[in-house]
Amino acid sequence: MGTQTVPRKLPFSYKLKKTVVSIALLALGVTFVKVSNKDKELQEELEDWKENLVFSLGVLPNGPAITLKHIGGRIKYLGRGYKEDPELKILFKNVDSAFLPFTGQMGSHTAFVQHRALLHGNVVDGIKANRAMNIVQKYLLPKIVLNYTFKRPPKYTFRQLMLKLNVYMTMGLGIALNATK
Amino acid sequence: MIPEYYEFICPVKVLSGKKALANLSFEMEQLGAKRAMIVSDPGVAGAGLVKKVLEAFGESDCEAGVVYDQTPPDSGSKVVNEVAKQFLDNKCDCFIAVGGGSSIDTAKCANMIVVTGTSDLMQFQGVDRLDRPLKPFIVIPTTAGTGSEVTAAAVIYDEESHTKLAFTSNHLFPDVAILDPAMTETMPPKITAATGMDALTHAMEAYYCLAKNPVSDAYAIAAIRLIFKYLLQSVKKGKDLEARLAMLNASMLAGIAFSNSLVGVVHGIAHATGGVARVPHGVANSIYLPFGLENNFDKAGDVIAELVPIVGEKSTGDVKKDAELVVAAVRKLGQQLKEASGLPTTLKEAGVTEDQLEDIAKACINDGSCTINPEDITYEVALDIAKKAFG
Repeated sequence: MGTQTVPRKLPFSYKLKKTVVSIALLALGVTFVKVSNKDKELQEELEDWKENLVFSLGVLPNGPAITLKHIGGRIKYLGRGYKEDPELKILFKNVDSAFLPFTGQMGSHTAFVQHRALLHGNVVDGIKANRAMNIVQKYLLPKIVLNYTFKRPPKYTFRQLMLKLNVYMTMGLGIALNATK
Repeated sequence: MIPEYYEFICPVKVLSGKKALANLSFEMEQLGAKRAMIVSDPGVAGAGLVKKVLEAFGESDCEAGVVYDQTPPDSGSKVVNEVAKQFLDNKCDCFIAVGGGSSIDTAKCANMIVVTGTSDLMQFQGVDRLDRPLKPFIVIPTTAGTGSEVTAAAVIYDEESHTKLAFTSNHLFPDVAILDPAMTETMPPKITAATGMDALTHAMEAYYCLAKNPVSDAYAIAAIRLIFKYLLQSVKKGKDLEARLAMLNASMLAGIAFSNSLVGVVHGIAHATGGVARVPHGVANSIYLPFGLENNFDKAGDVIAELVPIVGEKSTGDVKKDAELVVAAVRKLGQQLKEASGLPTTLKEAGVTEDQLEDIAKACINDGSCTINPEDITYEVALDIAKKAFG
């Protein structure tokens, strides 16, 4: 009796979650760029980042990913997938694990606590990236969600609230323009 | 409360007891090894402890291919590469680390180099990047605190990039840990006290921080109980082998707990204080632990309060009062250790200057341990803890 490959049929729920995570990653990338150009809190955070640090956020195995680059105190979106041999990677072990933080059901620290996410690269760079992503998340998710997922509820200045409004209004266009990158 | 999800692992075989070292060659043979490289440091070798390990080979076919006893306190990539070279040059087939955290981590990293064939460990930084098993690895701790004999992590200093490289992989677990009190009986009182408080910090932070789980809780509680019963005794009477063995066990149990549940702000700020002001890790942990506990009263006071009977106090029935009793018990132990060994209880006593506190706070918030701390650790919070601990 020879061996045979068991056909794999991925359930619709898996495909849906993967699509949601792909879009959420793209939204995060686009918002990261925008917020790094406008928000002082993030700009201060980026001050001591390594110049030209390339970092990726992705999902294992072979799941969606995006790559970003720090240049001159700002973030540049390099595109989907792993570009320019990233020095730092934050990886979710599977689509289900990525789905929880990207849909506001779990904070990023909880993802690490529950071994759902892991870090490839320098730990200090990873902590800084995580802190910066938390600032970006302030703009992506509603405060009512962040009150639950952050250790402490986020505070906004008036200027930040205006920027959050702007992020929501231009998000669709940003995603559309970068979808093919 | 059961966590929504957790993982737990400890594949290390533990041998504990007087004359446990006599089983060394048997364990080597079980691992298919005959020619060991022994990794140690000058202090341990000078105290005659490496000689004890060599004598333990007895009449067996096992032997030491080479002994490296020059591991510095903060080992770096040059030492690790040299150890790996000597391992290969002398055709060794297993590592035996005899010492504290630095010797153990050096052996772990040299093992990575030997097996992967790389001289650049940078590529393995982070979590779960090793994809193959390492050479057999036996650890014989000569301090009771780091718990490195049962952990999957290693940290070394990289001379080229001037950064600390941290590695975590299940392949970094030693195969065997031999806990023999004869290997710690000559440890000086102050080091005994500091390393013991390091173990207490591992256990307590593993118990109340965010990655706690029922399995690691069991290890943490067992460790805390042993430390409160035996640490002062092992400081006051170094030759008391029962106390020494109990502390080796406490360190091992706390190591298993924190290897799985990780640690919090006390470790984060202790790492920072070590980097900025060269305060030994155990000393810094001992100073910060009461303040780290208090920092988490709001988010984890109920969990901290559960430790009341474990630290030998009687519950009042009030969560806040019980949590305060736990902190008071930790402070009392610290004070007793200070009287018995000179262990500092403030940063000022440990040689930290006030102008270093801001740098400590800045470094603290970039430490991975703060992610696991229940309370959010911002620069301001870290500075507040450092100021309180300054004294």
